[in-house]
Amino acid sequence: MSSLARLGQLLRTTTFRLTATFILIFILFSIALLAFITFQSSIVIQRQQAADIDRETQLLQDLADKQGLRALAVAIDRLAAQPGPGIYYLGDKAGQMIVGNVSTFPVDVFMQQGVHSFNYARARPFGSEPAPGPTQGFAVERTVMLPSGFVLIVGRDVVERRGFTAIIFQGFSYGVLGILALSIIAGALTARRVLRRIDAINATSSTIMAGNLSERVPVTRRNDEFDGLATNLNAMLDRIESLMQGMKEVTDNVAHDLKTPLTRLRNKAESALRDGSSPREQHEALETTIAESDKLIRTFNALLMIARAEAGAPSGAFSDVDVSAIVADMGELYLPVAEDEGVVLSTRIADGIRLRGNRELLGQAVVNLVDNALKYGKPESGERSISIALREQAGRVLIEVADNGPGIAPEDRQRVLERFVRLEKSRTEPGSGLGLSLVAAVARLHKGEFRIEDNGPGVRAVIDLPTG
Amino acid sequence: MKILLIEDDREAASYLIQALDEAGHVTHHAADGETGYAMASSMEYDVLIVDRMLPRRDGLSIVESLRAENNKTPVLILSALGEVDDRVTGLRAGGDDYLTKPYAFTELLARVEVLARRSSPGEAATSFQVGDLSLDRLSRKVERGGEAILLQPREFRLLEYLMRHAGKVVTRTMLLENVWDYHFDPQTNVIDVHMSRLRSKIDKGFKTQLLQTIRGAGYMIRE
Repeated sequence: MSSLARLGQLLRTTTFRLTATFILIFILFSIALLAFITFQSSIVIQRQQAADIDRETQLLQDLADKQGLRALAVAIDRLAAQPGPGIYYLGDKAGQMIVGNVSTFPVDVFMQQGVHSFNYARARPFGSEPAPGPTQGFAVERTVMLPSGFVLIVGRDVVERRGFTAIIFQGFSYGVLGILALSIIAGALTARRVLRRIDAINATSSTIMAGNLSERVPVTRRNDEFDGLATNLNAMLDRIESLMQGMKEVTDNVAHDLKTPLTRLRNKAESALRDGSSPREQHEALETTIAESDKLIRTFNALLMIARAEAGAPSGAFSDVDVSAIVADMGELYLPVAEDEGVVLSTRIADGIRLRGNRELLGQAVVNLVDNALKYGKPESGERSISIALREQAGRVLIEVADNGPGIAPEDRQRVLERFVRLEKSRTEPGSGLGLSLVAAVARLHKGEFRIEDNGPGVRAVIDLPTG
Repeated sequence: MKILLIEDDREAASYLIQALDEAGHVTHHAADGETGYAMASSMEYDVLIVDRMLPRRDGLSIVESLRAENNKTPVLILSALGEVDDRVTGLRAGGDDYLTKPYAFTELLARVEVLARRSSPGEAATSFQVGDLSLDRLSRKVERGGEAILLQPREFRLLEYLMRHAGKVVTRTMLLENVWDYHFDPQTNVIDVHMSRLRSKIDKGFKTQLLQTIRGAGYMIRE
């Protein structure tokens, strides 16, 4: 990536934009603050000066009253000679100055008592040294008509005051510019840091989209919100990967386990078509074909059901179900079959156990367990017995189907839950190898688990579901 | 019986029409949703067979519109979607029965014939009679040739369902759905064992066997 494109990308990031917005708001605020402070301080200075002028005027007036005009003239001459912004004038209304440091005023300054502000020409510069600056000034003064008919003017040059305001303004401006520069740098750094984290996530997604599902988003030790996001993304990827893995297994198994009966089906049809087969043989072949395809459809349906249950059914399919009634129904459904096969089927079902679930899937799961017990729970000698139990224990609902057959070796107990897995000794019985996979999927769908325990002797299959 | 089949798969449709014809039914066919809806709302049929996914208008919306117009013709919905919730939505839309593809023709025929019966009186009947076998829903008594027969509650419901549809084939799946109210595939011979128990109670010792097994399809009770 070229540095220019990189910069462009940086400028487009959300973080950078957010920072820029904050900087803008901050600058606007600073300007407003600056204007306010400047305005306020100039008012304060103005008031201060006005008070100074008033006090000085009062003192000079008092002096004139007590010691006469001459003393006033001497005092003003001394004051006018001092360096500083002071403006003094004592003279007649026509502008004929007796003593003072400013001679030219606008006409109304002589004519009216009170406060004025105006441009003036300085008679002599501030201080004893000749001022290098212009002799033109801006002043605020108070005009007093003395009883003797003379005019006393006391004022202040305010150019200095303006200079002060300008200094404040300048200082603030540099401050704002500095903050602006710092903010831009900080914004860019933050944006780059965020961008780097997001780039890492993007890079991982690209790799995954390209087909490498085992890639994971890097998680730092900072434990910040990005790590939270990365952890969640990784958990999601784990789930997807395991689903994909399951999918792949199913496809492989489907290919293998459905191909065999399909081939058989095809062979059967082919041999029925061959010359020399009687109508009766053809009829039989057709019937076998239908029976075989029904079996295939059943296997397909079971696979679809497992897939749906594993993907997590929409919550619409869940309702408040009476588990006691379901288990009792299934027990009743199987009682005659069991009796016919000489199996003692007993039930021990706690009343009124309910949970949020899917009635059909739970029913199917119980049926699969009872069916398995009938098929494989055959002891070598003695009476066969199957017991179906439902109980609630410490917030868990336990559905148990137990037989007294040969049982399943501990090392095989997990394996039989996989799709299409059939233990060697069960090959003589018809079955798809999907029954227990479905039970496990149904248990997971209900946020519970399915396990196979030792019934000593026999199998005890337990569907363990949370009540909540 | 006059049937309207709304199905876009030509091959499946022509197979169904031929098979229904062999079973003695007249079948009209519509290949898309709009045509199907127009035919269903303008003509009288005994049963509608509606595929769920159709071009131009989907099956459920046809059923909903017909029901909104107070058209009570029984509807069998055909669908490739076979999950529990799919069935529930199908029935909620106004369908009377729901059959998942692929299905056996015998299953479809049995359901269609039972559905058509539904629109005729008999739904509220309180007693049934087949030959010398009688069942009274109110007193919960079953008699054959004047002799009382004692049945378990489930056996009673099985017999009631069979007698309500006397002369019609009912499949094992239909029995599991209507007598036990579960909609999954009955495993192997579970229903058969219940039926043989029922048979031993109502037919044993009698010359005429009323409860008959229809090979490759299901059961039927008739004289």
